[in-house]
Formats: sequence, C-alpha cells, structure tokens
Amino acid sequence: MIRYWWLGLVFIAMLLLPLFIGEFWVHVAIEILILGLFAVSFNMIFGYMGQLSFGHAAYFGVGAYATGLLLVKTSVPLPVALAVSMVTAGFFALVIGYFCVRLTGIYFAILTMAFGQMLYYIIFQWYSFTGGDNGLQGIAPPAWLMTASAYYYFTLFIVIAALIVMWFISESPFGYTMRSIRENADRTRFIGINVSQYMLINFVVAGMFAGLAGGLLGPFNRSIAPDLCNWHQSGVPVFMTVIGGPLGFFGPMIGSVIYTFLFAFVTGFTEYWPLTIGLVIVFVVLFMPGGVLGLAQSKFKTLGARDLRAGPQGPIDTET
Amino acid sequence: MAILKVEHLNKAFGGLLATCDVSYEMQTGELSAIIGPNGAGKSTFFNLLTGYHRADSGRVLFQGKNITNWPPHRISRLGIARAFQVSNIYLALTTYENVRQAILAQQKRTLNFFTPAHRLAKKETSELLEVAGLSRHANMIAGNLSQGDKKRLELAIALGSKPELLFLDEPTAGMSRDETHETMNLVKRLNQEMSLTILFTEHDMAVVFGYAKRLTVLHQGAIIAQGTPEEVRSNQTAQKIYLGEEA
Repeated sequence: MIRYWWLGLVFIAMLLLPLFIGEFWVHVAIEILILGLFAVSFNMIFGYMGQLSFGHAAYFGVGAYATGLLLVKTSVPLPVALAVSMVTAGFFALVIGYFCVRLTGIYFAILTMAFGQMLYYIIFQWYSFTGGDNGLQGIAPPAWLMTASAYYYFTLFIVIAALIVMWFISESPFGYTMRSIRENADRTRFIGINVSQYMLINFVVAGMFAGLAGGLLGPFNRSIAPDLCNWHQSGVPVFMTVIGGPLGFFGPMIGSVIYTFLFAFVTGFTEYWPLTIGLVIVFVVLFMPGGVLGLAQSKFKTLGARDLRAGPQGPIDTET
Repeated sequence: MAILKVEHLNKAFGGLLATCDVSYEMQTGELSAIIGPNGAGKSTFFNLLTGYHRADSGRVLFQGKNITNWPPHRISRLGIARAFQVSNIYLALTTYENVRQAILAQQKRTLNFFTPAHRLAKKETSELLEVAGLSRHANMIAGNLSQGDKKRLELAIALGSKPELLFLDEPTAGMSRDETHETMNLVKRLNQEMSLTILFTEHDMAVVFGYAKRLTVLHQGAIIAQGTPEEVRSNQTAQKIYLGEEA
C-alpha cells in the first residue's frame, strides 16, 4: 500500500481544490472527473481486453439520457437515476456487445462504431421521447447539489467509488483473464475459458461505467444533446487514453486531465481546438508511445501500479 | 475403457486431405507418440482432437463421451490439455502469472471480480513452477525467457489445467540436447507419477524411441503404421516413408 502514497496526496489535493480555484475551473474539474471515468471505462476494453471500441459514446449517451429523462419527467432521486443509467447502459452494451465480441481488431472497432451511430440516429430522430436534435433541457440536480462545488464533491465521490471498483476488477482473476485474452486469446481458450463470453461480460461492465459517467453529465450541464452518442464523442476516450497511456490503470484519467484542461484553456482564446489536440496526439504518439503515464513509469519506478503490458521494466513498445 | 477413442476422423483443407480416415485409441496411463514428416498432419490431428478445427466427419470420444467438434474451452474443462508446437504463452505477463492464469481457470475462479489475483492459488502456482523447473524465473516477463524455458512454460500452463489427457505438440522443438532430455524426463515422470495419459508428436527419432511406449506413424494424413518402437522400426512402409527420409 505504501507505494500508492501519491494517490493519497492526489486525493487531498482534490478535496481542497474548490477552495483555491474559481467556479469556471471547478466546472472544468467536474468535467475532468466525468470524462476521466468515461475514459477509464473505455480502457477496460482497449487496454485490458485489447480491442478498440469506437462506439463507447453510445453507453455514455444512453446513461446520460436515462438520468436526464428520469430527472426531467419523474421525481426519482439522482442516485437512483444514476443506478438506472448504469443498468440501462449495461443492457445496451449486452445487446450490442453480443454481436461485437465475435469480432476482433478493425472489425470490432467498425461494428462498435456502426451500432453507436445507429443509437445516435435513433436518439436524434425520436423527438417525442428524447427531444431529438433539440436535446433535453432543464435537467436540474437536486437542491443540495445546485452549487458548483457541491456537485464537484458529489462527482468526486461517485467517480472515486467507481474507480475503486474498477481497480479491484482490474487486479482480480477476471482482470487477469482480460489481459490473457488480449495477450493470447487462443491460449486462453485452451485453458478452458469461453473467450467471447468473457469479452461480453467485460463489454457490459465497461458499458455500465460509461453509463454512470454519462448520467453524471446531464445534471452538471443542465442539458444534454444527441451529440453525446456520436462517433466524435467516442473519439474522446480514445484520445484521452492515448495521451495518458493505455497501459496503466490511471492513464486515461491522466489523459482526461490533460485533454479537458487543454480544451478549457485553448478554447478561451482560439477556435483552433482540433488543430491543437491533433498536434498533441502527434507529439505523444511519436515521442511517448506509452503516453504520459508510460513515460512517468519508466522514469520513476516508485509510481507503483505495474504496467499492464509489460513488467517492472516498462512497456515493451518503448523498450525495443 | 479407452480414455481416447477416435473413429474415422476426416478433415480436408480445400483439396488437401490433412486427416484421412484416422482411427486411434489410447488407454489410460499411456505415453505414446505420433511421428511423421513435416506436413503429415500431426498438428491438424491435435487441432481436431482439441476443438481448434472442426472435423468433416468421424467421431472423437473422451472417456466414452462424444466430444467431436466441441469448442476448445469445453474440451479443456473436461480434462484435456495441450501444449503447442510454437510456444503459445502470455508474453507480457510474468512466468508466475502465466501459470497462475491456467490454475485460476482450472479452479473456475476467473469470474471472481474482487479478490486480488495475487492472493489466489499461491501454493499451486509455486508448486507447478517448481515441477516445471521455472521457479527462478517466476517474476520474469515470459517474453524474455529463453526458447527452452518458453517451451517449459508452455508445458506448465497445460499442466495448470490439471488434465487427465495431455497432448504435447513437439514438446522439445528448439531445445538443446540436454534440455530435450530434461524435458522428456519430466514428461516421463508426469506419466508415471501423476498417471497422466500423454500423447506427443516429435520429429527427433532419438526422443521418440527413448520414451514412447507406442508409436503411430502418420503420412499424408493417414496412419500407415502403429506399434512398439521396435515394431515400427522394422516396418517396411514406415521405414520408407519416414525413416528413409530422415536418413
């Protein structure tokens, strides 16, 4: 446990954060947490299972709409709505994943994206239920979460709880089975594991946490739009994970800090955000293929959390 | 009762008959080998028995149960394990984690979401590493192991499934002479002490004659000779096809 001391420091810093920054940056911090949770859930599929889901926004969006609709049309308390978001997103991931886990590589990526776009168009067109392209307005958080810092603490609590659960999953026999499927699916079949069934379970769990992240977004923005489900949004966790590093558990979260902060900062004075993030990605891919976390882990071994893909020596990719 | 019974098994890839009307039987506790030149269909035969390929026709019975064309994971759970010709391991995991994964799967603990894996199957994993002679490399990344150690790890993973029937596809391929005999002695011990039924393929004749009690010669997908090493050695057809080519 002692090697995770830095996590304690990060936690204390996050608790104190709203005392030192203005409301705008508290909003940015909330977004970092929500998108970070989204990206970590994406990495359960990408980093651990070794498949690129390019439709992960579908579950994020379904989660957002589940909570949004419940808060707008009923008087369900927010925590219940969030639980419904997880279950609903998990259900969609089950149905869609059932078809996707039969494929791997580029075909998996394309099929997840195709299903994601299907969901996007359904939400986009279904005016009577989802509000169509107008989105859903007036999603109010409960009275006790009206201020930015209250919502920040609420989000912090939920995201940390979710991260702890996902951390346990990643270190569990199930998590190691995911690594083994990524490393060698054939070998894994021959030790008695039903690979596609396990991939589906993982897909559903990842979808549920994406749904939770989505659920947190509506009450924060007070509104949601179908864009949350489309493939641009699916690219966000991909970018975050590439920047932060897919090989460590916290990589996508670090990626979210960099991506979301940069977005808030850069869009303050220029509209050339896509150019900026493009340059960042090019830089990361060329000069630190393991992402920020990969680089940090190869420099400071004490950061603990062993690399997913290699051992204490650091990522294989950067070694050779 | 025969532990393994194969009846008229056929498999073609396009126009190529890779397995041609093969019938085969093994008794519990046997240590036998399949020999044959490259492309004789040895690996295909293993692939058919373990569910990697689907047979065109014929039946495979394990302890009297028809397992023809079952998926690999179900066959594995019945107690049939295999080691591959080209070592098929988890390159980025440590040696220890490689073996532990097989043991956790065998113990049906892979759906456990909340116990850290490093707390589970400690004793079994260490014991198996000891048996395979890999203890000192336990924390090494498997991809960094020597070729011979990779093959040993391959064997250890197969043993992690606690099989009753073990298929070894060229278990000593790429090993030095010393390593070869070390490995084959281990195979012999597994057969005698743990009463494991083992079928292996091999192209090194010394290895085959030294260890297997029964030989089957495969040529162009069909069995052409069968018997004790001595019988096969004196069999005319086998000599012509296999031994002749070797000499």
